[in-house]
Amino acid sequence: MLTFIGLGLYDERSITVEGREALRNADRVYAEFYTSELIGTTIEDLEAHHGVEIEVRDRAGVEQEPDDVLEAAASEDVAFLTAGDTMISTTHVDLRLRARDRGIETRVIHGITAQTAASSLTGLQNYRFGKATTLPFPYAHGADGLPGSVTDTLEANREDGLHTVVYLDIKVGHELTDDDEYMTADVGADLLSEEYPDTVGVVVARAGSPDPLVEAGTMTELADREFGDPLHLLVVPGDCHPLEADALVELAGADREDLEIA
Amino acid sequence: MGRRKKIVQECERLMDEPENIRNIAIAAHVDHGKTTLSDNLLAGAGMISDETAGEQLAMDTEEDEQERGITIDAANVSMTHEYEGTNHLINLIDTPGHVDFGGDVTRAMRAVDGALVVVDAVEGAMPQTETVLRQALREGVKPTLFINKVDRLISELQEGPEEMQERLLSVIRDVNELIRGMTEDMDDVDDWTVSVEDGTVGFGSALYKWGVSMPSMQRTGMDFAEIMELERADKRQELHEKTPLSDVVLDMVCEHFPNPVDAQPRRIPRIWRGDDDTELAEGMRLVDEDGEVVFMVTDISMDPHAGEIASGRVFSGSLEKGQELYVSGTAGKNRIQSVGVFMGGEREEVEEVPAGNIAAVTGLKDAIAGSTVSSVEMTPFESIEHISEPVITKSVEAQNMDDLPKLIETLRQVSKEDPTIQIDINEDTGEHLISGQGELHLEVITQRIEKNQGIPVNTGEPIVVYREQPQEPSAEVEGISPNRHNRFYISIEPMTDDLVETIKLGEASMDMPEQERREALQEAGMDKDTSQNVETIHGTNILIDDTKGIQHLNETMELVVEGLEEALDNGPLANEPVQGTLIRLHDARLHEDTIHRGPAQVIPAVREAVHNALIDGKIKMLEPMQDVRIDVPNDHMGAASGEIQGRRGRVDDMYQEGDLMVVEGIAPVGEMIGFASDIRSATEGRASWNTENAGFEVMSDSLQREKIMEIRERKGMKLELPEQIDYI
Repeated sequence: MLTFIGLGLYDERSITVEGREALRNADRVYAEFYTSELIGTTIEDLEAHHGVEIEVRDRAGVEQEPDDVLEAAASEDVAFLTAGDTMISTTHVDLRLRARDRGIETRVIHGITAQTAASSLTGLQNYRFGKATTLPFPYAHGADGLPGSVTDTLEANREDGLHTVVYLDIKVGHELTDDDEYMTADVGADLLSEEYPDTVGVVVARAGSPDPLVEAGTMTELADREFGDPLHLLVVPGDCHPLEADALVELAGADREDLEIA
Repeated sequence: MGRRKKIVQECERLMDEPENIRNIAIAAHVDHGKTTLSDNLLAGAGMISDETAGEQLAMDTEEDEQERGITIDAANVSMTHEYEGTNHLINLIDTPGHVDFGGDVTRAMRAVDGALVVVDAVEGAMPQTETVLRQALREGVKPTLFINKVDRLISELQEGPEEMQERLLSVIRDVNELIRGMTEDMDDVDDWTVSVEDGTVGFGSALYKWGVSMPSMQRTGMDFAEIMELERADKRQELHEKTPLSDVVLDMVCEHFPNPVDAQPRRIPRIWRGDDDTELAEGMRLVDEDGEVVFMVTDISMDPHAGEIASGRVFSGSLEKGQELYVSGTAGKNRIQSVGVFMGGEREEVEEVPAGNIAAVTGLKDAIAGSTVSSVEMTPFESIEHISEPVITKSVEAQNMDDLPKLIETLRQVSKEDPTIQIDINEDTGEHLISGQGELHLEVITQRIEKNQGIPVNTGEPIVVYREQPQEPSAEVEGISPNRHNRFYISIEPMTDDLVETIKLGEASMDMPEQERREALQEAGMDKDTSQNVETIHGTNILIDDTKGIQHLNETMELVVEGLEEALDNGPLANEPVQGTLIRLHDARLHEDTIHRGPAQVIPAVREAVHNALIDGKIKMLEPMQDVRIDVPNDHMGAASGEIQGRRGRVDDMYQEGDLMVVEGIAPVGEMIGFASDIRSATEGRASWNTENAGFEVMSDSLQREKIMEIRERKGMKLELPEQIDYI
């Protein structure tokens, strides 16, 4: 049995009760943190809190050499952990398909993901979001400026009056420094301001933690502010329902003048 | 004022009169007497003493050149000569004749407008004669002919007047046949064949410093009978005084070679593909010394005091100290620190060097041999293509680890000076690979590192450079990224020889306007649709993008090309370079988000697809070949041809020439290592020989596996081939 468990947004306590039980009962536990991380805890604390040993895999260990994970899952209860929800912003459906291919039973236990947090914290309505996109570090996508996938997505959503979640790049274990590197919202806003200087963005920082932050402003304004510890994401509102506009002004300090109100 | 100083002043004065300038190169087969002839010209111009010309080899300035008795680098010198009452400035480049240094010859031709081709009267036109002629004509450089060593016909071979005349005429016929064949398709030149009557042929002896031509015989009233008499009677000094070689040759240079004003309008379209409607183009056509500066670097050399010296041709404007100039292929500008001209091995600083001249400047730290240097940003000159690719590699290691940084710097310098040298620097192992044209080429380079830089080095055994090439078209192959979200569909096919040749000669490259590239490729047989979809050219391989309207492919193409280049630089058989392959990208499936189609995903996917396609196309190993020609007395002929056959070679022809037998054949470069000493002992030192790189040939099936495993072992690769390779 291979159980995909979402750890939720922030620390060892963000997991659901169902997830916690499945995790504690597993014979073996694997995890990956290259797609996202739990900022409020460490692997050691996670292991101690749940009384399990966790083997952390890097990208190659999941995408190219998952054989031992699958072999273990063929005979034992194996848990595969990720931050957030396991199937949302990552590509683990491939691992699930490979497992099924070998006749291994699989299940998914959900966690809370940034996608829902973005909606919950900003007051923007879930059904008014369009396609999401990831803003990569400029050195990571091999071209100058904003990648077309980002601008295409933003343009298409704005055309339809929809909101866009812009995930900000994470590099785990940088080649040179071995440090983790998180794109902060000011850096993201700075990149976006090249093409969208006066567009309103909403920063959502540390969603799921005890002190989340939600702050609106034009991209140019956001580029000059600081938003504290990671993780951050940006929401670009489309046309706002009056109630959404009220929420952005009240909860995120948006300037009503800057918003497109439907 | 010293004599030399006077000449420098006179040169400076003449530099401003392009009508009176001749830029020329002397080029020939090895040992046919180029350098001795150059010395004659120098002595004639008063630059070295008359007595020592011929022994001094003033232009062989490197110690190893004088030791080996051959020219290795192209050397520059300026001199003056009075012809028909007008003083002329002659900028001369002496070029190496040994086949290993062909890159120097090609670069020298870019700087000059005329080539004096020297041929040994006894040996006649030889393989390198053909090569240097081709190099000259391709650059639009006009040839004249000097037949050297005529004294040997008279004194050694005791030939009579008729016999001698017949021999000289046959040399001229051979050379003209070559010129005619090579200029057939050139519509910008009229008849460039040489003839005695026109005065474009000279005869004589560089060693004994006499020479004649039709015009000189008319002027001096000397005829062949008189010359033969004096030569036979050993009155060579008298002969020299009556009809000095330098006058005859320099007159021929002034009379028959075009000056820059005549030459540049014809040469510029041949070597530059920029917009010819611009002021810049006009400046180059008119040799305008007040125009924008355009300087083509043809050589980089090191001066122990001044540092790096860039020499080359000024096509427009004037070079002056302090100018800030663009260097093609690099960002920013370089500042000229000094401007000069070459006088023999020495550089003389001058105020300025105007258009039409050959200059030597310092301060261009980013320039390499082949750079275009200019005062405005411009389309660079056509890259100077040398036909030969490196065929031999040697590893170089510093004996003391402390010398490592200096060695790396020196190797980088070496490849800047001679672009036919390829350097692979491996900072991890400290073992660096230098690849070049032949054993001698590499030997000279490593000796210079040791002697000039004082870095003791260990060198490995010479290693032959192989190639990999598919033998048939492949099926469409799928390459999947590690995260399985990106897929590329690729097929490959071997290219025709015509296409490969077109790319090798630079007649189709990514530097040229798309329209021209398309036409060149179509002319070489590529169909129209394919030629419109060329995405990149890497080595002699082409990537064709046959996809239509795939979203995000544009963003990802750079990574596709990177993956392709990795796959081609390290072929699937033994990590040797892949050649002559056309790669088609038919289709691609890409992940929506950039994050999931970064380098770590796309590069391996493309590399895998290309390798699998190559294997499906039955990729095989190719080895470099050399044409071999041996001249040997009759009784050693068997031994000589045995030396070729014993090296997996093939003897193609054997024939009598004079009192010698000529053996012609072809053999693999790998087997030719050590040939020099073997042929010497096999023929008791009586053979003279010549080799010329002859491209790559597929190795026989029986040798494939053995060679692949040998290379894999040397490179520390796995000793099993990928399992799909079942045809070897």
